[in-house]
Amino acid sequence: MKFSKNWLKEFVDINISTEELCDQLTMAGLEVDGYKSFQSKLTGKDAIIDLDITPNRGDCFSILGVAREVAILNNVKLKFPKIQSVASTIDSPTKISVCSDGPKYVGRYIQDVDLSLKTSSLIAERLETSDHRLIDPVVDVTNYILLELGQPLHAFDHDKLVGDIHVRFAKESEKLTLLDESKVTLNRDCLVIADREGPIAFAGIMGGLDSSVTGSTKSIYLEGAFFKPEVIRGRARRFGLQTDASMRFERGVDFNIQELAIERASKLLSNTVGGRFGPLQVVTEKKSLPKQNKVSVNILSTNKVLGASLSKTKVKNYLTGLGLSPQVNKETIKTLIPSWRYDLSIEADLIEEVARLEGYNKLPTESLKPLTKKKETSSSHEVSSFLVSQGYSEVITYSFIDQQDASLLDAQKNHLTVSNPISQNMNVMRSSLWPGLINTYINNLNNGEENQKLFEVGSVFKKDKKGKVRETLQIGGLISGKAMALHWKVKPSALDFYNLKGDLESLFINFRKEVTFKSASSSILHPGKSAKIKLGSKVIGEMGVLHPGVMNQKELKGEVLVFALDLEMLIPNKNIKYKNFSRYPVSQRDLAFIVEASKSNSELIKLIKSKAGKELVEIKTFDVYQGDNVPEGKKSIAFNLKWQSLSKTLVDEDVDRAVEEIVNFLSKKIKAELRS
Amino acid sequence: MDITSIRKKAIDAVASSSDLQGLEIVYKSFLGKSGELNILLKTLGSLPADERREAGQSLNLLKKEIEVICSKKQIELVNSDAENKLQNERIDVTLPGVKKEKGRLHPVTQTIHSISDFFGSLGFEVADGPEVETDYYNFEALNVPADHPAKDMHDTFYLGNGSLLRTHTSPVQIRTMEQQEPPLRIICPGRVYRKDSDLTHTPMFHQIEGLVLEEGASFAQLKGLLNDFLTDFFGQEVELRFRPSYFPFTEPSAEVDIRWKKGWLEILGCGMVHPNVLEMAGIDTKKYSGFAFGLGAERMAMLKYDIPDLRAFFENDHRFLKQF
Repeated sequence: MKFSKNWLKEFVDINISTEELCDQLTMAGLEVDGYKSFQSKLTGKDAIIDLDITPNRGDCFSILGVAREVAILNNVKLKFPKIQSVASTIDSPTKISVCSDGPKYVGRYIQDVDLSLKTSSLIAERLETSDHRLIDPVVDVTNYILLELGQPLHAFDHDKLVGDIHVRFAKESEKLTLLDESKVTLNRDCLVIADREGPIAFAGIMGGLDSSVTGSTKSIYLEGAFFKPEVIRGRARRFGLQTDASMRFERGVDFNIQELAIERASKLLSNTVGGRFGPLQVVTEKKSLPKQNKVSVNILSTNKVLGASLSKTKVKNYLTGLGLSPQVNKETIKTLIPSWRYDLSIEADLIEEVARLEGYNKLPTESLKPLTKKKETSSSHEVSSFLVSQGYSEVITYSFIDQQDASLLDAQKNHLTVSNPISQNMNVMRSSLWPGLINTYINNLNNGEENQKLFEVGSVFKKDKKGKVRETLQIGGLISGKAMALHWKVKPSALDFYNLKGDLESLFINFRKEVTFKSASSSILHPGKSAKIKLGSKVIGEMGVLHPGVMNQKELKGEVLVFALDLEMLIPNKNIKYKNFSRYPVSQRDLAFIVEASKSNSELIKLIKSKAGKELVEIKTFDVYQGDNVPEGKKSIAFNLKWQSLSKTLVDEDVDRAVEEIVNFLSKKIKAELRS
Repeated sequence: MDITSIRKKAIDAVASSSDLQGLEIVYKSFLGKSGELNILLKTLGSLPADERREAGQSLNLLKKEIEVICSKKQIELVNSDAENKLQNERIDVTLPGVKKEKGRLHPVTQTIHSISDFFGSLGFEVADGPEVETDYYNFEALNVPADHPAKDMHDTFYLGNGSLLRTHTSPVQIRTMEQQEPPLRIICPGRVYRKDSDLTHTPMFHQIEGLVLEEGASFAQLKGLLNDFLTDFFGQEVELRFRPSYFPFTEPSAEVDIRWKKGWLEILGCGMVHPNVLEMAGIDTKKYSGFAFGLGAERMAMLKYDIPDLRAFFENDHRFLKQF
């Protein structure tokens, strides 16, 4: 809200600089966004102050409200404006009825107004400096009162009304064309002002077009009503109609100010558009007005919550200053809440008022004593640190992705979508970390970075068959390019499947988790170069080379490798127990076999282990070869085996017997041929 | 030839030997079968008995002496030979080593870690919760009823099925209060989402919220804690001020500004947890009071590292990331 300092000074006698005033307001919780000094032609040196009002302080949405605060802060009295009533010389032809959710309506019929006259220059200046467009001398006055007293007013062209005025809820699908020419179809929970024919205004939000004041208007009906905040809330937003009126009504308007507002407006109108005035019509359903609660604040709990030692007198004085009427009974202060403060309903609210007026920075400060806590292990923390040590850099990408990327890079088909995305290319909740990683890779590649190792930790989202959202924390990564930068000694090779697999294997060793890699296929990964990662029988992730089709779509060359792991499955095993180890010498043998090229390493190892005896302690694949001296469709694969006993030194015969068994078994089982 | 002159000649000859072969020749020329000492020894027979004994003794002493200096010289020559060989194996120590490239943690993660570490040292535990939330946990349980104007402070992303993307990590506080008995000290870092995008807003960012719920938790402690935290985070004493503000879930509520360059900069929001919030979570408000605070990780990182543009965090340009 923007307002003029001189206008404020009509309500409160202060003689402080604008800077100081702004500082006072900010430190009292009414944040000043900025101010601009200017020279008013009518009132001299002035400043426009821009106030950012929090939703709880609807009472400060007016000069009067701000003046109340300023008066307390400077310990001066509020100058309530003397308002002369205009003389009523005619009767009102219109009767009013209210309802429990719009329990108060104050109106006045004014005949023979002249809208060709001009708004007074002071009103014009103040409206303009408060960012209000000048409309016509009647609407300008209603806007002026809105800014000054916080009471939204509306003026109807009386000649366009049919019959009496009623405050009521709309009928379902009742239609109304508003002042901004938008047509709304109302619901049963929308409060309206209606005449005999139907709605003439959307209560608390905007007047109707058909009954509006125009240049040719001869008589008006001026309205100042009170509507309950809860029947205005949400409606403006639902219809996309946030107005100055709705903003005030939904935060709560003082239900005692309507008479004053209409009197003040009448006076101002009589000074400009003239006319003859009907009586002030006040219709109230008293029992439906907000209850003026009594709230108690205990001085001991106030000091406990604040960690302070404020005196009873001090607390009482602060509350009195706010226009409350506190009564002290031992340690408790009980007070009636004024009609303009909708934000004070419990003790904590009053404690805040006391703290605010004492000044947050004047209140004591005390260090929080440390507590010991149980040590916790965050697996994302540990995986991240490990990957960083392996040369991976962390990226953070948006959780929402483009529809096209979702279908290209994300095997999951049942995506969760955002109903109101910030832009159309950010409307799908990712079910994989790969789209973000791939796009980051491409951006950096375009910036000349060919060797990349990236990872991201983040949630991915899936809908299950019943439409329930499943959110899982994953870690995903991407590598591409050379294993290292150009080097004089080491000729870097291109990163491939085994580089990525090695990084992951090191990770699992670090976490003391035994996993297996099983050949797998997906539409995103190369069918021959991808694997599922299993922990026991559970699939905890996948890895592989990006499918050439995907590479084409993304205009990428070479090989890009990606992985994804479920982090929830990756809790490091910290439960380490000592195991006895053998102090006897190791016996080892190298065995090379010619086998079908399609036989996998893990298959062969499984077969070898089944016959190697329990004293086999290690088996390593140290050579895989296809080409000269190996028949077409076959491969040579060589293993280094180590045996060691816990109880004796193994002799050659022990090991030779095991080797013989292995060789015979492999020959029988898979026609493996021992290479000599 | 007298002994003195032989001795001098031998010492000179050994000293001037420049390699092992030369030394061998020198050795033989004095101590060999037909070396000078042996020749001299043979002439002793012609001397009278007592002179002969004396001369024999001196000759033996000289023999030993020459042996000693020869072997010393030999060691010297061997060492310098090896040294010469090593000198020829010299490498260029200025060539780059074979190093493993190190990756980096994202600056936002680093910021979250450093903040979590500070609070961890005071006994706060890290808590987390889902990013897809219900209206209840994101708003209602935090004292923001349906249609409340305070909802305008959060531009919420809604998902088709009635759920929403959390606009703050406060739901984690509620979920923790529901599951654990006080006393509680938790810190909740995580991604949050608001429908907002400009120079200073991105539709996703990271928030870190903290909650203390224990007997006697006070506004004074909240002030002290945040003061200590900001000093720790910036590595120096910072001037800060607490300013009344409004959040539906705290009462009293405050914004904290720090003195930054020439003015004040809003840095975090905080307050005493609203009694309605505690009651909804089933906390005994007669016994326990609580305070909470929330701040943006990106904003903290921007201040700490002097980063001018928020969007840089999500562009993940390697030229940006490698600086941290």
